Amino acid sequence: MNTTDDILWRAMVYCGPSANRRHCRTLSSARYCSRTRTRTRLRGETVMAAAAEKPTKDKLLSTLDDIEVLSRELIEMLALSRTQKLPQPGEDTDILELLVQRDREFQELMQTALEQGRVQQEMQALEKEVEKRDSDIQQLQKQLKEAEHILATAVYQAKEKLKSIEKARKGSISSEEIIKYAHRISASNAVCAPLNWVPGDPRRPYPTDLEMRSGILGNMSNMPTNGVNGHLPGDALAAGRLPDILTPQYPWQSADVSMGILPPHHGNDFGLEPPGHNKENEDDVEAMSTDSSSSSSDSD
Amino acid sequence: MTLFTHGLRRALMTQQPLDVNMATAEPVVEEAEDYSFLPIIHDIIKCMDRDSPDVHQELNKLKTKIQEAREQISGLPGVDMSLALQESKLRMLREQVQTKNQLLQKYKSLCMFDIPKPS
Repeated sequence: MNTTDDILWRAMVYCGPSANRRHCRTLSSARYCSRTRTRTRLRGETVMAAAAEKPTKDKLLSTLDDIEVLSRELIEMLALSRTQKLPQPGEDTDILELLVQRDREFQELMQTALEQGRVQQEMQALEKEVEKRDSDIQQLQKQLKEAEHILATAVYQAKEKLKSIEKARKGSISSEEIIKYAHRISASNAVCAPLNWVPGDPRRPYPTDLEMRSGILGNMSNMPTNGVNGHLPGDALAAGRLPDILTPQYPWQSADVSMGILPPHHGNDFGLEPPGHNKENEDDVEAMSTDSSSSSSDSD
Repeated sequence: MTLFTHGLRRALMTQQPLDVNMATAEPVVEEAEDYSFLPIIHDIIKCMDRDSPDVHQELNKLKTKIQEAREQISGLPGVDMSLALQESKLRMLREQVQTKNQLLQKYKSLCMFDIPKPS
């Protein structure tokens, strides 16, 4: 209700035998048309309200507005009826009926609204539960993703391992050959100093100057291409014997050393007799190697 | 006006369409009385009948009650949709919760390691 309507309404209530009577009569007739239109609308809305799926809030506010208008009209009519006859005798009954109907609708809608409030609480609880389940699912998803990553890495590494195993199996070498090779490498003192090596010993795990000069490369300019008797000077070195002039004389050397012990060479040929080769080593090799094609007993 | 007042009182008591010639009155329906505006309107009309000075007070009460009802309606939860829509949303939420529970139960009890048969 706006302020003007409120003042008019109170004035009409206190109409009574006063000068406002004529004023009220004029106003009431002027507003009669609007009231009629309102009542027509209200009757129409009653029929159509059931069909519309308006939100409950809109229905409540609409019904409340209707109650306000109807109650105002009713009170105005009563105020006018105190001073004059009603223009239409049945009109008050219509208004009253509509007012009662609207009031009943309002009460029903309020009950519906309260019920909807309870349902809304249940919906909020369900929404919280849905959120909790969503977070559980996301956590499970993260864990599954992590597990999948770990397993994928493990499977990949296992496959690589299997590939390398298969590759090794295809290019396998017998253990006897490997042991023989290892023995020959170690027998030439290339991996470890000889037991009687002392500081000052010229022996080295690599070819020294003397050995290089006495080898094939060192004597390239002097020697013929096919060598002597099919043998190159390097063969003498390869065979493990140096010319006397090149043999170093050291106190730790014995007669055996001059014969057999030479600076180590780097031959890759299994058929060559390694320096430091003596009967003990030969026995070791024989013991270690059971292959009859062992070249450990070969000598030049 | 007296007949009018009687008619309104009867309407208040019965909450049925008003009939001036109504002879019987049924028991009062109390449950929705809090949200009814008819008692106040009845009081206003009674005051008008008696030319009581309290009519202003009653008019103010009616105005206040209407205003309070508007404010209460604005603050009610869950009334922004119709009842049918709300029920369908509730049904949907219940189904969602059930589906998610089933999904979680399924994945928690799932055997993750399917041992492939040797080919």
